[in-house]
Amino acid sequence: MKTAFLWPRLLSVCIGVLVVAGCSTPPPPPPPVPKVSVVLLPQTDASGNPIRTAVSVTSGQQALQLDQPFALAESDPKGQLAQRISSAAEVQARYGEVLKIQPPSPEIVVLRFLPGKSQLTPESEQQLPELIQRARARAGGEILVVGHTDRVGSRDANDALSLQRAQAIVNLLKARGFSEDLLSAIGRGEREPAVPTDDEVAEPRNRRAEVIIR
Amino acid sequence: MTPLTFHKCMQSAVLCCSLLMPLLGQAASERSGIIKNLEGEVTVVRGGKSLPAASGGGLFEGDRIVTGPKGAAAVTLKDGTVLSVGPNSSMDLTHYIFEPTSQNGSLLVNLVQGTVRMVTGIMGRTNPELIKLTTPTSVVGVRGTDFIVEATP
Repeated sequence: MKTAFLWPRLLSVCIGVLVVAGCSTPPPPPPPVPKVSVVLLPQTDASGNPIRTAVSVTSGQQALQLDQPFALAESDPKGQLAQRISSAAEVQARYGEVLKIQPPSPEIVVLRFLPGKSQLTPESEQQLPELIQRARARAGGEILVVGHTDRVGSRDANDALSLQRAQAIVNLLKARGFSEDLLSAIGRGEREPAVPTDDEVAEPRNRRAEVIIR
Repeated sequence: MTPLTFHKCMQSAVLCCSLLMPLLGQAASERSGIIKNLEGEVTVVRGGKSLPAASGGGLFEGDRIVTGPKGAAAVTLKDGTVLSVGPNSSMDLTHYIFEPTSQNGSLLVNLVQGTVRMVTGIMGRTNPELIKLTTPTSVVGVRGTDFIVEATP
């Protein structure tokens, strides 16, 4: 706001100089107000159904909510935000480079353990070389192993057990030459059962590890 | 709330979090994400030093990604948030905490200039109110979302 007040004064100084010696350089343009554009992209779930999403854009005292696919908020030279609906074609034309650099979606594979152990079933262990290959095919490809338990035992004990199972798989991947820097072991305990059960119910389908390749 | 007071607020939040971090057992040097796809000239500014970006390299809280006129970079943060930075851009990972067991955390990205696409990950579901992206003139808040922000100086 300060510059708006300064501007007419600068102008009159320049005119004064013009009378005497000529204005060798034109008056400097007012400093531009930084601009912002925000566009909401459509999102779908794993089965391709659209998900309702939204972003809020706050600029000074002004706040807008974008909640339609391709809704675009853009500030004018005075910094005022206006909203309109853009399109896939416009976003592609304006932001093609950003869209192009997006990494491919993660792949998720479920591995199973022998009953009551941190040891993989032979079928699951056989999958490991292929998982490594798929991770290496990606730029900066990493492997996250997320361990899960059933609801037998305390939450804390299951947190520890799930992490131990995840770590066991991470160790196998490391032993097969996959870089430690690109491996993570995560224990989610009994929080995310594949099959919901009551507490203290033994459920082999919940004793598993999700391998995320991304 | 004006962007300025918001910044101050986030700064104190960051300070509180960094004081609490040892209690949460999270090492300050732990990486926040991994650099994925790269195109053209991309550097990471860390502790005042410019380093060439490399696919598979870590991105840490406080890092700045700078891209050249033909540069672009994608980073995946621990919770699965994907940040794609376009050409002629400068973006700070101002603050990032994610605790993978509880899946709680918070994220503050500052787009100094240029373009960034953010596709939120787990935190977009667990703590959407703690994800913010700022530009020199605005604050973007999210709810489980995929969006692009452009800041023109």
